[in-house]
Amino acid sequence: MAALVAAITSLGACGTGRELPAGQSAIDSLRGQSWDSVVARARGSEVVWRMWRGDRSINTYVDGWVAPQLQQRYGITLRAVEGQGPEIVNQLVIEREAGRRAGTASLLWINGETFANLRRERLLGGPWAGRLPNAAFVDSASPIIRRDFEQDPEGYESPWGRVQFALIYDTLRTPRPPRNVAELGAWIRAHPGRFTFDQGFTGTTFQKIMLYALNGGAEHFAGGFDSTRYVGGRDRLWAWLDSLRPFLWRRGETYPTDVAAVHRLFANNEIDWSMSNNENDVIAKARQGILPVTAKPLLLQDGTIANAHYVGIPFNAPNAAGAMVVANFLLSPEAQLEKQRPDVWADGTVLDVSRLPAEWRARFSALAVDPRALPRDSLARYAVPEVSPRYHERLTADWLAHIRAGVPVAR
Amino acid sequence: MLLAAASLAAPVLAGIVYSVAASVGLVGAGATGHASMARVAYVLSERVSWASLLWTLGVSAVATTLATAGAVVVAVMFRDNTTMHRTGRLLASLPLPIPHVVAGALGLWSLSQSGMLARVAFALGVIAQPADMPALVYDHFGAGLALTLAWKEMAFLGVVATALLVTRGSAAEEAARTLGASARVAFRRVTWPLLWRGLAPAVVAVFVFVTGNYEVAALLAPSNPPALALLVAERAADADLSRRGDAYVASLLLLGIAVAAVAVHEWARARWEPLAP
Repeated sequence: MAALVAAITSLGACGTGRELPAGQSAIDSLRGQSWDSVVARARGSEVVWRMWRGDRSINTYVDGWVAPQLQQRYGITLRAVEGQGPEIVNQLVIEREAGRRAGTASLLWINGETFANLRRERLLGGPWAGRLPNAAFVDSASPIIRRDFEQDPEGYESPWGRVQFALIYDTLRTPRPPRNVAELGAWIRAHPGRFTFDQGFTGTTFQKIMLYALNGGAEHFAGGFDSTRYVGGRDRLWAWLDSLRPFLWRRGETYPTDVAAVHRLFANNEIDWSMSNNENDVIAKARQGILPVTAKPLLLQDGTIANAHYVGIPFNAPNAAGAMVVANFLLSPEAQLEKQRPDVWADGTVLDVSRLPAEWRARFSALAVDPRALPRDSLARYAVPEVSPRYHERLTADWLAHIRAGVPVAR
Repeated sequence: MLLAAASLAAPVLAGIVYSVAASVGLVGAGATGHASMARVAYVLSERVSWASLLWTLGVSAVATTLATAGAVVVAVMFRDNTTMHRTGRLLASLPLPIPHVVAGALGLWSLSQSGMLARVAFALGVIAQPADMPALVYDHFGAGLALTLAWKEMAFLGVVATALLVTRGSAAEEAARTLGASARVAFRRVTWPLLWRGLAPAVVAVFVFVTGNYEVAALLAPSNPPALALLVAERAADADLSRRGDAYVASLLLLGIAVAAVAVHEWARARWEPLAP
């Protein structure tokens, strides 16, 4: 059997083009080279970037602004292709099993449990992020950026943006929204069938926020995964959610697949709340006509999760030099400023603006702010960090088991 | 001939070998490299696996039955070479080129609690708010999913059924009617036996296809129990790498359904159409 499987998986290894010596990651070949050499090597090449392609604003920013800029400045052709989280891990495992030392993508959009899995499976090349000239501007003092779900990136990924979870409501339908978890629970009870959350990443983040709030804050879960604390916290969370279940959309008998389905239910007036991992998502979606123009983001005073997202380079990147140049450009003040514009993507910068030259500080200060946007001081005041990705993994799996009644959940 | 058959079967067999190897932890994300039946035993002991399997089989059976019934009605009603019948056949086959993901989106657009049906009901004063509309998508019984799949597959089965009846002509039914059989009896004793034996392979193919369909289920199925294809995708994307093997076990269950359906069809064909001497 093993021989047969090896034969099958090795079929894909034929004719893969540029190959690396066994045991060496693509990024290793750039070690010791100056940045100018890296740029020279990247010039005129193609970089395939595997990333989530589910948002029009992000796609427009990447395809319509980043790609032309890279072509103009470095002659690099950027090709963004679909692939996120577990798909990235699966793809790289298959490429490794097939013996493909030159893989299909040079850059990956990752964070959290994907980064943890990629590191665990030794699928990332590095360290390299510290070599990027623009890394000097990164807000390295911020715990949100310095740690990716409590993990030290160790130079295996470079930050790209930061976001904060926010609930989304319609100011016309809900003129006096709840301000904390207790009030949210009371609101849900008073408005049966008008609240739900999804089974995907955003829904799990919502559950984690409730987990923190009902168990004394994020500090209770800080410092790595603790099974005892998790089980105790999870049971308190589920007691709360189970008490609300009869008042959820469809009486909690079913949950939307992903956050896009929650947005659709909200936009079609089937429910009164949506949510997003990006506090400014509502602004972009209202401008696109996906959500009502009267929709606004809301932070709960118990705290909402803020995290950063990163780019990584796979062990078998066919164009590691090009990927580093792209990652460096993504960290440039101009790329970060463009990304933060409310009419582009409204994704938060990972730069410490005070370290930038005066010209760029002025441009960031002058950045137009949408009147619906949450004030920066509120975002900072109510931001809570991510904890170990193991909490996210367990909560996702255990919640699915829990709602599929009768399935025992491991303790 | 044998080489051609082997070439066709090779990718499928390779997939099966890989799935078996991944199920026992020899390959894939989270593989330990040592063969173990732990994931197989885990998936087979999970209540959700069996609930998912039974629910999926039930919805697929309903969808296939509805599609087959619709196809037979179309074939019987529009079998002549008149303009009206040709137009009827054309209209019935219109869903054929529509991709399944678009059919799923149409199902959502039509049947959800804020969909077209609900809006018409609201305009007529039948319902006052979305929640008053019966839940036809993400519903426990998979009504919207079954209806959407039936609508989509009816076009394919309708083309097959119509071709069968048109090529065989109506002489046999006319003879039966001349001999005094009622329209109902002529259909039951003459038309139906002609139709179902020719239609059976296509019906089996549709059943197997809708059982493994992902995109329509992803848009319309409830979270509990999950459709089997969604369970496969869920486990394949599990952040816990040690559970990725579960996806291959569940996909082998899907393969088992396909093999069983084909085997039942072959058995039925052998029983009803014994080899000529």
